[in-house]
Amino acid sequence: MRTRLLAVASLASMLLAGTAYAEPVSLTLWHMEQPPHRVQRMQELLDEFNKAHPGVQVKQEPQSWGEVYAKAPAAFAAGNGPDMLFTIPDFTTLIKGIDALVPVDDLAKDLEAKHGFVPATIAPYQYDGHTWAIPAYNMAISMWYRNSALKAAGIEVPKTWSEWKAAAEKLSADGKYGIGLPANKQLYTDQTVYSFMVNSGAADIYNEDGSIAFDKPQTVEAYQTYADLQKLSPPDSTSWTWGEAEACFASASCGTILQFSVINTYETQAEADPADLGVAPVPHADNQSDSATISYSNAIMLTTKDEAKQAGAKVFLAWLLEPQNYGRFLTMEPGLFLPVTNDGAKAESFWSDPIVTKYKSQVETMVANSQTGKLFGFTTGKVFPSIGAISGQNVIAETLQKIVVDGQSAADAVKAGQARMSEIAAK
Amino acid sequence: MKRTLPQSLALYAGLAVIVLLIGLPFWWVMSGSIKLPREIISRVPTMVPQSFTLQHFEKLLQSTDFPAYLVNSLLVALFSTVFTIALALPTAYAFFRMKFPGRAALYRLILVAYAFPTVVVLIPIYGLFARFGLIDTRASLVIVNIAFALPFSIWMMRSFLASVPRDIEEAAIVDGAPPRVILLRIMAPLIAPGIASVAIFTFIASWTEYLFASVLIVSDARRTIPVGFAGIIGQYQIDWGLLLAGATLATIPVVILFAFVGRWFVTGLTEGAVK
Amino acid sequence: MTNPRLALLFVAPALLFLIAVLGWPLVQAVILSFQNVGVIGTEGEWIGFDNYAAVLGGSNFWRALGRSLLWVVANAIVQTAVALGVALILHQKFPGVRVARTWIILTWIVPTVVVVIIWRWLLSTSGGMVNPLLIQAGIIQRPIGFFATRESAMTTLVLINSWRWFPFVALMMLAGLTRIPSDLYEAARIDGATAWKRFTRITWPLLQPTLMMLGVVGTLLSFNVFDVIWLLTAGGPSQATQTLPVLIYETAFKGYRLSEAATVSVLTSLLLMGFALLATRAMTASEEAR
Repeated sequence: MRTRLLAVASLASMLLAGTAYAEPVSLTLWHMEQPPHRVQRMQELLDEFNKAHPGVQVKQEPQSWGEVYAKAPAAFAAGNGPDMLFTIPDFTTLIKGIDALVPVDDLAKDLEAKHGFVPATIAPYQYDGHTWAIPAYNMAISMWYRNSALKAAGIEVPKTWSEWKAAAEKLSADGKYGIGLPANKQLYTDQTVYSFMVNSGAADIYNEDGSIAFDKPQTVEAYQTYADLQKLSPPDSTSWTWGEAEACFASASCGTILQFSVINTYETQAEADPADLGVAPVPHADNQSDSATISYSNAIMLTTKDEAKQAGAKVFLAWLLEPQNYGRFLTMEPGLFLPVTNDGAKAESFWSDPIVTKYKSQVETMVANSQTGKLFGFTTGKVFPSIGAISGQNVIAETLQKIVVDGQSAADAVKAGQARMSEIAAK
Repeated sequence: MKRTLPQSLALYAGLAVIVLLIGLPFWWVMSGSIKLPREIISRVPTMVPQSFTLQHFEKLLQSTDFPAYLVNSLLVALFSTVFTIALALPTAYAFFRMKFPGRAALYRLILVAYAFPTVVVLIPIYGLFARFGLIDTRASLVIVNIAFALPFSIWMMRSFLASVPRDIEEAAIVDGAPPRVILLRIMAPLIAPGIASVAIFTFIASWTEYLFASVLIVSDARRTIPVGFAGIIGQYQIDWGLLLAGATLATIPVVILFAFVGRWFVTGLTEGAVK
Repeated sequence: MTNPRLALLFVAPALLFLIAVLGWPLVQAVILSFQNVGVIGTEGEWIGFDNYAAVLGGSNFWRALGRSLLWVVANAIVQTAVALGVALILHQKFPGVRVARTWIILTWIVPTVVVVIIWRWLLSTSGGMVNPLLIQAGIIQRPIGFFATRESAMTTLVLINSWRWFPFVALMMLAGLTRIPSDLYEAARIDGATAWKRFTRITWPLLQPTLMMLGVVGTLLSFNVFDVIWLLTAGGPSQATQTLPVLIYETAFKGYRLSEAATVSVLTSLLLMGFALLATRAMTASEEAR
């Protein structure tokens, strides 16, 4: 149905445009923003773009992150892959490895001059002398809490790990949990553990030469603290993904959680006062002075060898990052997707969204936090292909389970994690 | 036969346990789908909804192509079933009543088709289908479903054929009826209930298939229910209300279908064999 | 009837179909297992038996095999026990038995993805019903994590998978029960045999062919269960639920070692084929003996 409408729309625009664009370039875009309202917003934007650009017709085919790691390589190998593909840094290394990827150096340079990228968002895509994708939106983990709960317990917003631990212990009362930290073998746990690691000075997991630099005292300290705090989490947190953490927070069962955003859930499920929702940087180790976090710069890759299609895709990407369009793209999930460009961070189209307006102060804090974002494997300016497999097999989360589930010491678990990563890197 | 009181008590207690074991989870899901979000994630869950809303269903139907998923699933399951029966019936008959060289070996070979992890063939099948332009078609799912349902169907069908008394068939042979006629006019009607239960088995197997459907189908308009349902599970957020509504809507169509054909499955299994 | 050509004509369509759709991809998997392909779609070189040496020499394959065996046996025990009880109940006559026989199958007609979501929600501590229910019943004191320890994760998965499959098994058993001639029971009753005696002397022995058939098919089916495990624990915690299909998927699609995954697949297939051949030989032997 949707595709038929699209076909009608593109036919109409062809007719309107007359003979100037006799043969429109049609492009297929794969993204992994599959929840229905995101697909809907994307379609609105595409309809608008397609109408304004009769020569380039873009259609979306939403996929899911769970399957795309298998599906995209299979599709490219069979010659029916998409022309544009949404990505996160580790996925890009995979697609680059199968030679399906086209660098976007010139476009990135133009857009940089025009809009100015937040450095943390484009850096993970710049290596081997090229830029491999155009950043689209950013996500960074923050600590979420309720002002009223902290006040009732008589505590300040924690800034260091020991303050956080004290706060979590105080908030653990009458059936509630002071903190909700996952220990699942899953990406979410990779993310929360790494947001501890960046806060104790253990951000780099590779040495300059590509050998693994995971096993060091700072990493052990991060794991030790995480495991200690995890004991205060709900018993089912060993199987959590993002959704369970949010539900725990929204139902006021969890005092503090680490999450990209809880705004949507808080707004639709908690039925509580926006002013009560607190967000702060992830607390840091006691011997550190500043907080950092993990951030995922989501980007769009060019995956077609056809030059006319490449040109068309570039028109589309440039259009998407124009401030008057860009804000509406970001607010397909209001309060989750953060701007990657400097003028996008000021865009009226972003801040005028009703949810963003309602939670303005929280979104401002999230944007500020995202500036300090790092991502494991992409911190040194050199990228090694094994990061795809390390990330894909959730070695960071697996290491945590050795402590939480198997009762190993943090030092032993991190040592085993180092061995596992080295084994993967050697293959 | 008469039951003693303790026997009756045991019987009804057992029944009650079965009803709770199967019914309770479904009750929780269906009643959850009409609760307000706040109640769904409440720390103190409620057995009976305290709130009522249709917002989850509205959202689901407004923003997804659920009806299209439903039609796709029905089409795929229906065609898979028809072709599986058409292939399984003569094969089972040949294995059961005809003698030919290599019969035993071939029969085992077909059963062995179950003996490997289905994940193994995912990528080769993708490559194969891509070569024939079958990616993103419902036909590709039909083909895969037939392949996975066929061995078990042949096996089940063979045991039903085995229960047909030989003299019925021999009478037809004496009359000079060719095997095709014997199969379609005499054997098939006799084991019709058995065929029905094989058909329902195939239908359900196709209806619930997820792994291949998720990889072989690319566009939203051709997704089946399991894949469409998986699509509303967000990567970074989970809308439990939407999921419960989706689970309810994914269940209701088969329940309705089963209300009509369900008893055939059981009678097919229990009475498909002619005594 | 002895017309081989006609018989082959009957068998050929199904056979050719299976060869094209399953046989050919399997050959591809065998080819892959002798190469060193990493990411799907890339080229590899021939490396002989290196993959086999690595897989058989490492510990991952053997541990996953052990878990798979545990998984199959545990599922078989739980499902057989529950299903036999259910089948015996449904074999009785009582008002509504038809309805019960039909709707027992409800858990089996729901897509696995839906089953997974249902249980993820029911077992969670935010909104999940199971923990409060167990607390009310006095079985546990405070909420527990069903996937928190190695043992409980495996147990929970077995129970969820069995929840989905036991009705199907029960109906297959019911079919077996109805084939037992009722005059046998009559005779036993006249001889004054107790219900237990009737079960051990008549029901159980005569149910053997059905149980054996279910044992073979059930083993193959549950050995290959992948989606329930993958979607609920992804093989965790700490690899406690990483069965062979999970190991294969993870190696191929998360670790990007396609050839190694193919090697594990080939080894697994050989094992299962060996099992299937032995089992079918035993079954056809007992069939012909009757």
